[in-house]
Amino acid sequence: MTERRAARLGLVAALALVAAQLTVGAAWSLTHDDPTEFELMRGCLVREKGLQVEGATDDPVASSARGGALRTTVEGNLVTLSVATSRAEVERLRAAYSAAGDPGVRLDVRGRYLALWLRDPSPTQRQATYDCAY
Amino acid sequence: MRTDVAARPYAIAVGAVLAAEAALLVSNAWQYDWLRGYDAFANDQYAAILTEEHRLPSPGESGVWHTPPLWFALTGALRRAAIEHGWGPAQRPGQLLAAAAGLAVCVLVLLLARELWPGRHVLHVVALVLAASSPALVRASAMYHPETLAVALASGGALVAVHALRTRWRLWSSLGAGALLGLAGLTRAWALPVLVAVALAACLDAWCRRRWAPAAVVVVTSLVLVGPWLVNQQVAHGSALAFNRPAPEGSILSRRPASFYFGPRTLRALEHPVTPLFRNELVPHLYADWWGDWALTWDSPPPPAPGELLPSGVVAERARQAVIGLVPSGLALAGVLALSLLAVVRRSAALAVLPLTALAVAAAYTLFALRYPSTDGDTIKGTYLLMALPAATIGAAFVVDVLRPRGRGWAVVTAGGVVLLVAVQLPFLIL
Repeated sequence: MTERRAARLGLVAALALVAAQLTVGAAWSLTHDDPTEFELMRGCLVREKGLQVEGATDDPVASSARGGALRTTVEGNLVTLSVATSRAEVERLRAAYSAAGDPGVRLDVRGRYLALWLRDPSPTQRQATYDCAY
Repeated sequence: MRTDVAARPYAIAVGAVLAAEAALLVSNAWQYDWLRGYDAFANDQYAAILTEEHRLPSPGESGVWHTPPLWFALTGALRRAAIEHGWGPAQRPGQLLAAAAGLAVCVLVLLLARELWPGRHVLHVVALVLAASSPALVRASAMYHPETLAVALASGGALVAVHALRTRWRLWSSLGAGALLGLAGLTRAWALPVLVAVALAACLDAWCRRRWAPAAVVVVTSLVLVGPWLVNQQVAHGSALAFNRPAPEGSILSRRPASFYFGPRTLRALEHPVTPLFRNELVPHLYADWWGDWALTWDSPPPPAPGELLPSGVVAERARQAVIGLVPSGLALAGVLALSLLAVVRRSAALAVLPLTALAVAAAYTLFALRYPSTDGDTIKGTYLLMALPAATIGAAFVVDVLRPRGRGWAVVTAGGVVLLVAVQLPFLIL
């Protein structure tokens, strides 16, 4: 066997292995959707915290969040939760909420998550939303 | 088949690559925060206890008590000297030792390629460049960690064995190969598969030549060095290959889910190759960590807390690394397979050393990952496979050299491709 033939056979076998692995990955990607951060948060609030959630369509700021937004009530306090996808978007949403006046502690920004509370949140109310941040 | 690159440009290319690599590894080791490396604090505890109290640490004192002691003895002595002279941090000499060992690995890859194919200058340079620009080697060379020293010693042992198998075993070569492999085993358990591979190649050669003494000397010499450590582990911890956690009960095949074997999120490894995506999916997890930095211990902020955002540039840089790695990874796989074929067809024990090494390391690592599953994926790291680096880079260089079209123009194209491969990685490799 010449070196050239061995190298060609090796290359064909390697390409077949790589192609097989990529095919598995492609097949999985086509048939499965990994849950987004928003879907994980929504599922956590519903399943683990036992909360009822609804859309936040009447909140134009939250509705513009590219990661998604929802509304729920935690221990009697209404909260609108938005998920941003970049730091720039976090700042944009924060600025939009502050445009009509400083919301103070009612606006809680933590990483990619923004929570606008109806009233000042208690530590346990905040913790419930932190527990469902992914 | 011989290439016709003139000797002077060859020497200049080799010298330039080694000088640049030395500068890169020393600079990175100097700047890298020693505490960000794998098991850094536990490594320091081990080194301190070994040199100050002259004993091995207990499982309660260091999380890496299961690691052989050679690197810790050397680093501990350097650490003590640094403290006595007021050099800070005291762990930096240990990082510089890792960098020196990383450079030695590159030199040994070059020498292995020269030993197997003397005169094939393009093959030598491509193998050297692929090793020098390997992100897993560059990262490990900056850490306060024994991995690169073990790889250097094991590669040295493999080089001596390949030379003897190509020419003739002598007493010094048997003793030298056995001693280097034994010292490598006394540095990191991942050297043991290399020892097995070299011993197997030596036995195959002995079978053909009906001369068993050299193989016996290699095995006995290495066992004299590494044996006491293995016996100590067996007596003290119940297993010669004890690890820092007990293996779960039940069949080894039932310890990992199907996703571990199939890697269904493989495509995400090319787009978002950082924690926690595809954690514990063997192929994409290992691939992303070899070419990038899956666990975010390199030039990046620590992994973000839940809900926090990772700077987009960090992910983009690692995604670029993952895409860049496709071609060299495919070539490495092809090369190891091609060398296996050639070794079998030509009945060449010297050619068989590298593919046997790769096979043994891959098998041992897979067994380890199956035996000790972890929820956070800390038993899947690219640096664990560095023992296979010489086989991978020389194999890839072999395929490139054999299949590239001949002629001056194509030589320039080959050189351009190699330079491009390095150039696009530099922002990631340089701290």
